[in-house]
Amino acid sequence: MEEQDFILCECELEPLRDFVASIEENFEVIIAKAPSTCMTMIQAEDSVEFQDFYLGEALTTECEVIVNGQRGYGICLGDEPVRSYCIAFIDALTQLPGADLKDVEALLTEQHQLIRKAEQLEYNQIMRTRVDFKLMEQE
Amino acid sequence: MGYVAVKGGTEAIHNASELAEFYRVKGNTTPIDIKQIRAQMRLAIDKVMGEGGIYAPEYAAIALKQAEGDVYEAAFILRAFRTTLQRNYYSQVINTREMFVKRKISASFREIPGGQILGPTRDYTQRTLDTAKAIETAIDIKTFLDDFDAKIDPEKLEGISTFGKVIDLLQQEGLLAPADPTEDRSLIDITREAIKFPAPRSARLQMMARAETGGLMALGYSSQRGFGSVHPTVGELRFGAVPVRVKDAGGRNRYIGKIEVTENEMITGSKAAKKGTPPYFTIGYGLCFGHNETKVICMSTLDTAMRRPEMGAPANDQEFVLYHTEGVEAMGFTNHLKLPHYVTFQSSLSNTRAAVERNNNANKEVEQQMIQMQSV
Repeated sequence: MEEQDFILCECELEPLRDFVASIEENFEVIIAKAPSTCMTMIQAEDSVEFQDFYLGEALTTECEVIVNGQRGYGICLGDEPVRSYCIAFIDALTQLPGADLKDVEALLTEQHQLIRKAEQLEYNQIMRTRVDFKLMEQE
Repeated sequence: MGYVAVKGGTEAIHNASELAEFYRVKGNTTPIDIKQIRAQMRLAIDKVMGEGGIYAPEYAAIALKQAEGDVYEAAFILRAFRTTLQRNYYSQVINTREMFVKRKISASFREIPGGQILGPTRDYTQRTLDTAKAIETAIDIKTFLDDFDAKIDPEKLEGISTFGKVIDLLQQEGLLAPADPTEDRSLIDITREAIKFPAPRSARLQMMARAETGGLMALGYSSQRGFGSVHPTVGELRFGAVPVRVKDAGGRNRYIGKIEVTENEMITGSKAAKKGTPPYFTIGYGLCFGHNETKVICMSTLDTAMRRPEMGAPANDQEFVLYHTEGVEAMGFTNHLKLPHYVTFQSSLSNTRAAVERNNNANKEVEQQMIQMQSV
C-alpha cells in the first residue's frame, strides 16, 4: 500500500493519467466524491523529548470512486484533482477480487524505477557537498 | 481608544485597488509564470508557506505574485485562504529521522553520523552582486544544468541512506537533561483554541513554527547577545523532505506526499538544577516548513529561553515572544493604524483644543492678576 501510494504520489502526472484513461472504460466507475481540496494538519514532535505539536496545515486533494462496486480512496498533497482521481481508481482496482493487475504492476514498476533514479541522482549531487572540516593545526 | 465604523468611498476604494493592479503590470512585461516563481523564488515561497501556516508551494507562488513580492502580505493571503477549506485529515507524526537529507551540519561536532553535508547553501560565499544574472538566458540555464548533471557518473551512484542524529549520540551518553515531569505536555491547536499563558510547549512550538522570521530573529538574537541566559550552539541543523501519512476514510494508513522542512536542535549548557545533580545539556527545538535556517535557529534558541523565565529578558517571556513574533497579527494591527480613525481623532482633537483653551484662559487670568498687582 505504502509503496503503491508513494509511486502514484511522486510519479509524473502524464503517464499516470494516460494509463488510467486507457483502461477506465473497461470498468463501471462511479465518482462517490469528486476531487476536492481540503487541509491536512501536519503533526510533528520534537526530536528529543518527543513533545507532539502541530506544525501547520498542508493543502490536500481527496477523491473517492467506486470501480465495479469496489471503493477506492485517493489522497495526495497539493491541488491535484487528476492525480487524486487516478490514485482512487487504482486503489479500487487493486482491491477488486480477481482483477488482472499485470498492467498496473508494470506501470508501478516502471514509475518506481524512474522515481528512484531521479532521487538517486539528486542524492549523489547532494553528497558532492559532503565536507570533512579539519582543525586549524591539521594539514 | 474607541473604534467607529465609517462608510462610503466605495468607488475610490475600487479605483485604488485597480490602480495597485496597474502599478503591478504597467511595465507591460511578460507575466511571471507561477512555475517560474516556484522554481526561482524557492526561499521566498518557503517563507510565505511557513508564515502562512500552510504547505502549498503553488498557492504560495500565486500569493507572492498577487502581493507584488511582499512576503507579509502573501502570508496573510494564504492564512485567509486556509480558513476557506475544511480540515479533513490529521497526519501521523512526521519522522525527521527518515528525512531525505539535502543539508545536514553541526557546529558542535566536527564528525557527525554520515558527515557534514553542506547542501544548497551560500554560507561560505561572498555576498557580491552577480550582475550576470541580469542577462541570464534560457541557454545559460540549460548549459549549467547539463554541466551539473555531467559531474556525476550515473553508473557509479551511491545508494540513498538516512542518517543518525547528533542528538541521539548525546542522549545515549546520558548527557541530556531529563524532561521536566512537571511541564505541561498537553497538545493544543492554537488555530482552534485561543492561547493562554503560561502556554503549553506544544502551543509555543506551533506558534513559532508559523511566526514571522524577522520577529523570531530579533528576539532570538537578543538572547544570543546576552539578554537572558541562553548561550546556544547548533547541535544539528537539517533540511530535507519527509513523508506525510494519513488514515483514509477506510482506516488504512496512506502515504500522501512529502514536504520539505528545516529542523534544528540547539544545545545549551545547563547549570545544575540543584546541588549534587550534573550540569546536563538542554536542547531547544526548531522545525518549520520549507528551507528557512534563520527561523529554526531562532525558534530553538527561544524554545530554550522560554523554559527559563527571567526578569528583564524579553526572549524568556512567553507572552512577549509569542505575541510579538506573530507576523500576520502584528502586521494587521500595525497597518490598521492607516485606516480611518476620524471620530476618535476628532474626539481627541476636541479634548486637546478645550485643554489648550483652558490653559490659555488660565494664563490670561494670571497675566491680568499680574497687571493688577503691578498697578497697585
